[in-house]
Amino acid sequence: MHVPEDLRYTNDHEWARPEGAAIRIGITDYAQDALGDIVFVQLPEVGATVQAAEGLGEVESTKSVSDLYAPVSGEVVEVNAELADRPQLLNEDPYGEGWICVVRPSDPGSLAALLSPEAYRDLIAG
Amino acid sequence: MTAFGGFEMPLAYPTGTVAEHLACRRDAAIFDVSHLGTVRLSGPGALDALQATLTNDLGKIAPGRAQYTHLLNADDASVTDDCIVWWVAPERFDLMPNASNTARVRAAVGGTDVTEERAVLAVQGPGARDRLGRVCADAASVGRFRVEALGWNGHPLVVAGTGYTGEDGVEIAVPVAGAEALWGALCEAGVVPAGLGARDTLRLEAGLPLHGQDLGPGITPLQAGLGWVIGWKKGPFRGRAPLEAERDRGPTRRLRGIRSTTRRPLRAGDAVEQHGRSLGVLTSGGYSPLLELGIGLGLLEGTHEDGEAVEVRTRGGLVAGTVVTPPFVALPSER
Repeated sequence: MHVPEDLRYTNDHEWARPEGAAIRIGITDYAQDALGDIVFVQLPEVGATVQAAEGLGEVESTKSVSDLYAPVSGEVVEVNAELADRPQLLNEDPYGEGWICVVRPSDPGSLAALLSPEAYRDLIAG
Repeated sequence: MTAFGGFEMPLAYPTGTVAEHLACRRDAAIFDVSHLGTVRLSGPGALDALQATLTNDLGKIAPGRAQYTHLLNADDASVTDDCIVWWVAPERFDLMPNASNTARVRAAVGGTDVTEERAVLAVQGPGARDRLGRVCADAASVGRFRVEALGWNGHPLVVAGTGYTGEDGVEIAVPVAGAEALWGALCEAGVVPAGLGARDTLRLEAGLPLHGQDLGPGITPLQAGLGWVIGWKKGPFRGRAPLEAERDRGPTRRLRGIRSTTRRPLRAGDAVEQHGRSLGVLTSGGYSPLLELGIGLGLLEGTHEDGEAVEVRTRGGLVAGTVVTPPFVALPSER
């Protein structure tokens, strides 16, 4: 499974990428593979306030429903509207076109609490 | 892989459920359905034993044909199993129950459980016969609901023009020793391997009921809209009296299709409502890769016309839907 070096990770298989003062969020390659074909994504609303480790949205595959959890607390400033018609982007390009949303964290240092690539690799190998 | 009725089965191959589904609708897919049972009845008493137990009337067909039929609970006429009878030869029947019901069916009709002797491969889709023909021309020419005993590379096959996808195609019973070679030859011929996930989305899109969800304890053939499976003109069969009573008073609920207005998959257990009043629950739900919409089957109280607006209480809130008569998509007979 692909685990890019430049990202941070959660125990719930989300990734977070720092972009200036904001953080782009998606699900990992491991997550998309485990879920199977993704056919629906419930996105958060732009402007919504989210809490770390609480619900951010939902991902539904042909076989199951899974919650998305916010890696950090903050405000949703952008969502990937393309996913409404092309949820399969989560399977095809989980770290690129399949991004889910951008959050402006309430605590700029909150990314440090997330897993390093090494720690995430250990998690999915476990 | 997932555990299913005592078998380890793939939910999907690396291709993925949606691509496998579309391969079956547009060309050809192959499913390992060896988990289905085979209960073999032979001899002069076999026909009478089946006629006296199962709902459908074998008098409507003949040797060399297949028939969909039900085994009912004697007390309440609910569906103990739905199965296909392959009438292989005048005094030989291969009955194909659902995996978990094989022992129950054998106990009711007699015969021998030969499930472990053979694999069953389902080759389905508009291109199924063409691709199968490159491997075994005789098997490819077995017509819809026909059954033939054939040979392939020294292995005896029983081939039936049946399936569970709504597409044209055949199901092939092959001795275990020849199964892997036949599977490989069909893959070489361009047939796409498909798993349990696609088997479920295909059958749901085709509006075919699944035992354990749309049929089962508490659900009768009449509630499921399968009155055509009942051979009313033949003699007694198990569950006939309670089923006749339900027919005379009319079933209070019926299995109907629900087509959502959004992509969100509908799920078994979702409540179906109309003007805030509960009509029932979905017994099956999922996603239609062809429609790109949520679809489901639900037992609804009362009578509901095609096109009636309903709401489905999904995990994500109320979603607007429409009552439809399945299939949800155009199948070969309508294309």
